[in-house]
Amino acid sequence: MTRETKPDDLFISPEQSMQVYNAMQRGVSRREAMKVIGAAGVFAAAAGAFPSISSAWAANSENAPPQYGGRIRVAAHSTSTMDTLDPALGATAIDYARAYMFYNGLTQYDEDLIPQPCLAESFENTDNGSHWIFTLRQGVTFHDGKPLTSQDVIFSIMRHKDPATGSKVVSMVDQIESIRALDDQRVEFTLSSPNIELPSILAVSHLVIVADGTTDFSNGIGTGAFKCQEFTPGVRSVGVRNENYWRDGYPYLDAIEMVGISDEPSRVNALLSGDVHMVNNVSGNSAERMKTNDSYQVKATNSGNYTDLVMRFDQQPTSRPEFREAMKYLFDREQIKRVALRGYGEIANDQPIISSSPYYFDGLPQREYDPERAASLLAKAGLAGATVPIVASPAAASSEDMAVLLQQSAAQAGLNLNINRVPSDGYWSNHWMKHPLGFGNINPRPTANILLSQFFLSNAAWNEAGWHNEQFDQLVIASRSEPDEATRKQMYADMQTMIHEEGGIGIPVFLSDLEGYDARIGGMDRTVPLGSFMGYMFAEHIWWKG
Amino acid sequence: MRDSLFGLVLGRLASSLITLLLVSLVIFAITSLLPGDTAQQVLGQFATPEQVEALRTQLGLDQPPLLRYWQWLSGFATGDLGRSASNGMDVIQLVNDRLPNSLLLAAITTVISVPVALIMGIAAAMRRGGVLDRTLNLITLSMVAVPEFLVATLAVLIFAVQLGWLPALSYVSTVDSLGAFMKVYAMPVLTLCSVLIAQMARMTRAALIDQLDSAYIEMARLKGVPPMRRVLRHALPNAIGPIANAVALSLSYLLGGVIIVETIFNYPGIASLMVDAVSNRDLALVQACAMIFCGAYLLLVMLADLCAILSNPRLRNR
Amino acid sequence: MSDTNTIPAAKGERQHYVTTGSHLPMVVPKQRNRSGLQLTRWIGLSLFSFWLLVALFGPLLAPYPMSAFVSEQIYAGASTSHLLGTDYMGRDMLSRMLTGARYTVGLALVAALLSSLVGAGFGMLTVLLPYWLEESIRRIFDTLISIPSKMMALVMVSAFGTSIPLLILAAVLSYAPGAFRIAHSLAKNLATLEYVQVARTRGEGRLYIATVEIFPNMIQPILTDMGMRFVFIVLLLSGMSFLGLGVQPPVADLGSLVRENIGGLSQGALALIAPALAIGSLTVGANLLIDSLSNSRDNQKE
Repeated sequence: MTRETKPDDLFISPEQSMQVYNAMQRGVSRREAMKVIGAAGVFAAAAGAFPSISSAWAANSENAPPQYGGRIRVAAHSTSTMDTLDPALGATAIDYARAYMFYNGLTQYDEDLIPQPCLAESFENTDNGSHWIFTLRQGVTFHDGKPLTSQDVIFSIMRHKDPATGSKVVSMVDQIESIRALDDQRVEFTLSSPNIELPSILAVSHLVIVADGTTDFSNGIGTGAFKCQEFTPGVRSVGVRNENYWRDGYPYLDAIEMVGISDEPSRVNALLSGDVHMVNNVSGNSAERMKTNDSYQVKATNSGNYTDLVMRFDQQPTSRPEFREAMKYLFDREQIKRVALRGYGEIANDQPIISSSPYYFDGLPQREYDPERAASLLAKAGLAGATVPIVASPAAASSEDMAVLLQQSAAQAGLNLNINRVPSDGYWSNHWMKHPLGFGNINPRPTANILLSQFFLSNAAWNEAGWHNEQFDQLVIASRSEPDEATRKQMYADMQTMIHEEGGIGIPVFLSDLEGYDARIGGMDRTVPLGSFMGYMFAEHIWWKG
Repeated sequence: MRDSLFGLVLGRLASSLITLLLVSLVIFAITSLLPGDTAQQVLGQFATPEQVEALRTQLGLDQPPLLRYWQWLSGFATGDLGRSASNGMDVIQLVNDRLPNSLLLAAITTVISVPVALIMGIAAAMRRGGVLDRTLNLITLSMVAVPEFLVATLAVLIFAVQLGWLPALSYVSTVDSLGAFMKVYAMPVLTLCSVLIAQMARMTRAALIDQLDSAYIEMARLKGVPPMRRVLRHALPNAIGPIANAVALSLSYLLGGVIIVETIFNYPGIASLMVDAVSNRDLALVQACAMIFCGAYLLLVMLADLCAILSNPRLRNR
Repeated sequence: MSDTNTIPAAKGERQHYVTTGSHLPMVVPKQRNRSGLQLTRWIGLSLFSFWLLVALFGPLLAPYPMSAFVSEQIYAGASTSHLLGTDYMGRDMLSRMLTGARYTVGLALVAALLSSLVGAGFGMLTVLLPYWLEESIRRIFDTLISIPSKMMALVMVSAFGTSIPLLILAAVLSYAPGAFRIAHSLAKNLATLEYVQVARTRGEGRLYIATVEIFPNMIQPILTDMGMRFVFIVLLLSGMSFLGLGVQPPVADLGSLVRENIGGLSQGALALIAPALAIGSLTVGANLLIDSLSNSRDNQKE
């Protein structure tokens, strides 16, 4: 730990961080959490406060200090010529992981998805979330030696608003009306409507900071912990340690090579033969196989990824409320978790917020498998004995297995489901949300509000079921600027109840992300519940014990 | 004779061009029928209509199909393969990155599989109906009967996971010595050979047996020419034509057909490039790959025919 | 032994290859040992008819529905309740095999028959057509054959989705051109032979020449070729299932059964071995049968 940040460098001491952390664990808001250490309103920390603490915990729990050096190879589950180092275009795990490897955001998520300072050493909002001032860290340079300035930030964020960029997060950036440079180190964001979650939004991998005016992203020039030494789309990338990384003591590894192996058995075999040291998207069966060998570890992260049954309000027969309710009663959730997920998941309750979220409403009764009730609901809808097509695809993870299981339980209620399988190619543009009954798959979002805004607001582009509820819409908007935590929790509880009761989606289970890794990799007990590879931010936090 | 050969080659090249043109038309037509376009594919699940429109205009997808085909064709004719729509790189560069890998794998597999298959085929033909013939027949039949992905995965499990002798992945870039080179290529080549050897050996045997049945061999037999000489000096030269054709067919598989081997061993070759291109609706790249596969096929068949003509005096003098 | 007899002129003639142009050689494997012939024929016949019967009646005999989750244990070994164990999701493997064989055998049989029919039909037809038409048809088939079969299938499945008719179409498009080339070169060769010329000078019609003089002499190599094509199509289907483009779950052909249970390879799961052996015995059986059939026709004729 000799190269760790010294405690007296920290604006927030480890003890204080523990207090914040514990407060967060209890479901306290960031604002209140900060009151605990008396820093309300302004959130500031010196370089590396949080990461160093988390890795210190990791080190304690593993009884071994982090080591420096080493080169590892990581295999993600998908790769193609579409792989990109343009953060705006990132589409798969390997893109996100590379973005966090080579670039940094203004903010970054900690293990509770609370946005922490990163390239911005502090940020504050002057009113209830309409105006934000971010102060950039001094002395940060890009891999090519260019210093980081306000202009880079303005360019990096505003380019997402140009349709020609093809940004994947245009819906999140839409609310940013303008950004202006107050000086070289400070920028002011103006939002079209208040949103106290802006720092969370700015931590997503798409919104990392690139150098002003960049058009060719193939070199991956950012401020990140690793420099891009080689990048061939669809083949591999090699990142080597950035000696000038602004965060002292990081990264640990000398180099990380990233490849994609799309075939699951091959991916697992590559890990078991020692050719790669970390893989994601492992099947439940493979996980069981790996567990029998001490040289490998399996890590299951429940991040709130879900595959849901989409029941359109604007099409027959899903427009009938009894039919939708019946379908929700036809999920044998235990069986889906056991059979389709081999136990690696969490039972869900037809609403999208996971139990680990501070806004999870635990007062909502669990909907159970009840074919008789479903049968009587179907009879009421005039659909007893009907045959209804249901669309599933490998594009929506596990949806095919869920469809088969649903088909079996629907037969118990006298409903014939006709499974129509379509290939993943073009699924999202041609099938998703286009059939009365089909499946969608939603990746974890950094905050509950982003999730609800993107998939449940009446006018949201991806309002999967075409559900309209004005009261719900008002709650989503109001919760963005609601300062009182208790009121906000109540708002989220109401929203979850509405989705659970009248929404057009059925969520049977949350899917866990399963990863396998070589036992010689250290630091893996850090978890960021946003996806595999530590919420894609593994690169600078792990070390090699070999 | 030289003139007629030259003329033949020229004629074949000309007709190959027509075939390539037809192939490009077919590929273009089918690709135009694919649901969804590059713009949707690139932007993914959460694209807005404005973005899709913008990208379509940027990529020229809003132009009529025939115009797009013409643009591609005129570019291709002048050596400009266009740009990949999915990542903006020049198609020629993408192909350049992968094609040498594919050719190398094909070359190694050829060097190993062709002699083995020929020897097996000839041996079986010479001992027709005997124990050796039946054993080889059974072996080749069983080799053909096992799905390639099973052979490959089994090889990985045994040689990489259990024994740890060979790497599970074939990294071209990590090769720095002859030993490493052999280790990297051992399993992909083994898998491909198991498929190809069986096919080629069976064809060789059949072609040779056909010659052995003909009257002139019968004459040779009656004249007392020893069996070995009968096969190698009399029958084989006449069988070279069909054998060369069979070999050419099998080898043409080594560029486009190796997708499974490329996937399992993570070998960056041209077949997986084409699969990516199809799923990304990346027309320029699909076309480039198709042209390579078809061109290679046509070239191989032409070489096989040349082999046949040169080896067979009767055909040579026609 | 028959090969010591004088070989009829027509037969001797037929057996040299036309290798100019891009014609494929015709290939007629032969075996001479009679007792061996009998044995292989019986093995081939019994293997092939076994699978044909399974394809016909298998689904009726399946003890469970093929997609039912009947066991908590995955990759279970053979037991009295599950004769072939269970698969990666705890479904009864025997039921899945009995149902799956129909897809493999049926698909491959139909596709192989259609390929040979289309290929041989056009191959024969073109010989009788004017030169320019013959050339255009040849050109079209040449175009098709130069596209790798997996690529062809991939593009078609991406364009039209997976369905059984489409899989058959993709297989036919990939394999008919090969059948055409063989049939074409056979027919062209036959058309130059004396007895056909004699028929021509007799003033026989084109159709008569094609059906009476040419076709009977082509059946045997075409049958042999069809056997190989059957095997290739079985393997193409299993390759397609590897790429996720084959027969779609919950139904599965033998190839997809191998594919979906490949996770059980490390433990030597029966769920993997059984369908792999099934593919093996089906293709080997088909080949042995076709080999011996073509040989026996040969012998009869002599």
